[in-house]
Amino acid sequence: MSDQSRINNAITLIARLSIDKSSRTLSKFVRAGARIELERAYVVDVSDATKVIAHGESEVVGALVSLTGDAPFKFLFFVGLKDSFLLADLILRRPLGTTTGFDLYASSAVQEIGNVLATSISNVFATDFQIVMKSTPPMVLHDYAETLFEEYILEAAAEKNELFIIETKFFVVEHNINCHMFIVPLHGSEEVLSSIANRM
Amino acid sequence: MGRRIVVVDDAPIVRLMLKDILQENGYEVVAECSNGNEAVAKFSELKPDLVTMDIIMPEKDGIQSLEEILTIDRSAKVVMVSAVDQRESLMRAIKLGAVDYIVKPFENERVVSAIKNALGE
Repeated sequence: MSDQSRINNAITLIARLSIDKSSRTLSKFVRAGARIELERAYVVDVSDATKVIAHGESEVVGALVSLTGDAPFKFLFFVGLKDSFLLADLILRRPLGTTTGFDLYASSAVQEIGNVLATSISNVFATDFQIVMKSTPPMVLHDYAETLFEEYILEAAAEKNELFIIETKFFVVEHNINCHMFIVPLHGSEEVLSSIANRM
Repeated sequence: MGRRIVVVDDAPIVRLMLKDILQENGYEVVAECSNGNEAVAKFSELKPDLVTMDIIMPEKDGIQSLEEILTIDRSAKVVMVSAVDQRESLMRAIKLGAVDYIVKPFENERVVSAIKNALGE
């Protein structure tokens, strides 16, 4: 197995460990069962990266977070525009349908879920691998999925020709809300990921 | 009139959640701040009974703001609000002088109990 494959396996392990923690946190936050699944873990050429986003022209709201420290990562959480309204209603315990347009609270619901989920991932580094990571405040973007994803991979794409992408999908049970979470390792994370791979 | 509280968080939805819980329990939210700079300024201006302080915020984070508030008033009551389980930051905040903490996502009861505990009620 190549070094890169072993590193990719380490990232997948971190994602799997994060998923359980994230599911519980998200369920508590929206007061509804949330199921998170690892959808795909794959290497893609930078020039093709935005094509992997199946939601191309649909409007979405996303939260971008940088995880800084010994293993820098970029994190993205996004949801369809109308689903952000439902998330705001669930978090604020309002009847569903109260939020009818993209407002401060719909934006903030995505911001805060992104914050909470990114912290779940940094906790996995801390508790399972004793690696301290810090997350930046989430940047919220409302745009087409493809544009959002271009912004997301910009930093990683400047450094590499290929990206390793972890894609997860969430379902908020009973409310039919589909959410997506992506994790991309940045330059500088290889050494730490390699040491994690050696422990596997 | 209830005890006067300043709520600090960069997420408006969290500020609204905290404000609703606090007002339902008889507290007066005298200001909301979205970053640490605003928090320190509002603390100096309003001298509230308590501040709820998010940790990760733009411009100035909750730990720096806590330090500055305690420099202004060593007896200030600050309750930290952190995402999930930021153990390292919370330990630092408690060592610096924060009186309690709440972990997001929070239960209403936990918020009220932390506030009552901090205010000695």
